Amino acid sequence: MTGRGADQVDLIRSSRFRAEREAGWVELDRLITRTEKSGIVALSYEEAQSLASLYRQAMNSLSVARSISMDKALLSYLEALCARAYLVVYAPQESIRGAVARLFSRGIPRAVRRSALPLVVGFIAMFLGAVVGYLLYFQDPGWFFTFVPPGMSDGRVPGASVSYLRETLYETGGRDGETLGVFASFLFSHNTGIAIFIFALGVFATLPSFVLTFYNGLLLGSFFAMFAEAGLALDLFAWLSIHGVTELSAICVACAGGAQLGLAVLLPGNRTRRAALREAGRDAVKLIILAGLMLIVAAIVEGFLRQLVQGIGPRLLIGWGLGLVWLAWLTLAGRDPAPAPTPEPETDLP
Amino acid sequence: MKDRTANILPPEGVPIAFLISTGGARFGAQLLDIVITFGGLLALFFALIWAGVFDWSIIATLFLLTIFFIRIPYYIFSELVWNGRTLGKRIVGIRVISSDGGRLTPHQIVARNLMKEVEVFMPLTTLMSGTIEDDWVGLAMFVWVMLVLAVPVFNKRRQRLGDMIAGTLVVDQPRSVLMPDLAVQTRMRETGFILDTAQLEIYGRFELQVLEEMLREKPRTVEARERVAEVARTIRRKIGFDEAVASHDDWEFLSDFYRQQRQYLESRQLFGDAREDKFHDKANVAGAAKPSR
Repeated sequence: MTGRGADQVDLIRSSRFRAEREAGWVELDRLITRTEKSGIVALSYEEAQSLASLYRQAMNSLSVARSISMDKALLSYLEALCARAYLVVYAPQESIRGAVARLFSRGIPRAVRRSALPLVVGFIAMFLGAVVGYLLYFQDPGWFFTFVPPGMSDGRVPGASVSYLRETLYETGGRDGETLGVFASFLFSHNTGIAIFIFALGVFATLPSFVLTFYNGLLLGSFFAMFAEAGLALDLFAWLSIHGVTELSAICVACAGGAQLGLAVLLPGNRTRRAALREAGRDAVKLIILAGLMLIVAAIVEGFLRQLVQGIGPRLLIGWGLGLVWLAWLTLAGRDPAPAPTPEPETDLP
Repeated sequence: MKDRTANILPPEGVPIAFLISTGGARFGAQLLDIVITFGGLLALFFALIWAGVFDWSIIATLFLLTIFFIRIPYYIFSELVWNGRTLGKRIVGIRVISSDGGRLTPHQIVARNLMKEVEVFMPLTTLMSGTIEDDWVGLAMFVWVMLVLAVPVFNKRRQRLGDMIAGTLVVDQPRSVLMPDLAVQTRMRETGFILDTAQLEIYGRFELQVLEEMLREKPRTVEARERVAEVARTIRRKIGFDEAVASHDDWEFLSDFYRQQRQYLESRQLFGDAREDKFHDKANVAGAAKPSR
């Protein structure tokens, strides 16, 4: 010990500084390397504790070294060491389950209640589209072919026989449980893709989201008009309601999420656009998660229940009952009752 | 070379510099991720079909769900679990950090990856499908895709739209290598070139650190030895060191000079006299000429 002390007298100041602290840095380096490889769980309780204090010491060393040392290699080592330690110490710590639970009990309902304006934009886009589609169809059924791509109509075109149209609403198509599963997963995969797309496009000043949702409304309106012309309005309404209340609302919610981003770009207030985007992103992301969740439910309902439940009454009951459940969750969950209720997803009734 | 560092201020209050990743590294990581996920998917399903254990409809269901999963959720989950790194990013050696100095939150990860749909997958699928009937639509798509792709290229912190919304940065994984302290090494050998204060007045921090870089590696080739000799000669001439130095002692001389110069500069700095480079004298004179505040 005394010999070492005698050695250190001869060292220049910054070398002494380094010699005194080097052991701590090397130890920190060892702990970080292990954590980077196999996560913080690889450390014991004592090691995790010493990681925190060694991190603070290293940060302190970096701060001091910047003012007293001219050793470039040492400075860049400390810089990198502190950066690595910072990334290990400030890693996401909440369990995934806890985060998910918080999201559902408070995060999503609150986000929905805060975003009344974008939600109005979303639902209005769909509603306007439906009205325009409906009116245009009665003006000239030829519009139907403009709106609906040929692959989608599947023989359900103006002039098709009433019996055929009725059949499409009540077909079971000999589908058994297994094919229904494929159908449901296809619907989910496809619809979620569309929802994310609508959402992400919103950042370009809301317009693309609005247009896409409006287009979805057009499809809906012209389909509805065609069935109404054949005297099947109520049947179609029931057929759509069972999954559509959830599914169409989900599309509108996704559009609302996009609109929120777009509105932040258009009307940033007295923040920079970037800051406004970041702030809007908090609620917008929750909206798109909600939309994804609703689409999962809608796909299950559409894939299974719509084929298995055939009456008008039960279909209406399930569809709108589900709608009420969503509404109740979104308005009531997470502390005090909401001041601004979400608009009813009642877009397709003429 | 552009300045690629981003200073992050952790709660401890000592700013840390991270190196912002280049476009090439990020493109490579994204490409790797796509190859890994889609390649893995294909391999898995060829194996399943070949094994023939499952029913066709189960395979189809599984396929549709996996197709969905490997687009956005894969990135979200891997960045959550590995603290801002997907498989591709791990291989390339880059990672996502929060630009506000806090920890990376799940919200940020979800937000930045949702935007991937328009920034990565949509241009990609458009490119792959290649079926755009209308010229104008095709042109509009092209312009739009180019604009989206240009966002990360033309902003200073290389953020794509998703990064801006989430408030994240993509940086190189820092690597720390502890080099020996040159001032200690030289002390072990008791050779004695002693320089006086006047001789140490000449140079500043920049020259010292250039010398440090040179001293990190002993010369092995003739050219390298030649270079060391030349540097030693130049320094001796500049500081007016008259003692004769044998050519095999050049390295010793430089080491001793480094140690004493560093000690001198460090102590000057402690007294508030920071000498950036060899022009510090002129800078001081110019500064002194100005009226003091």
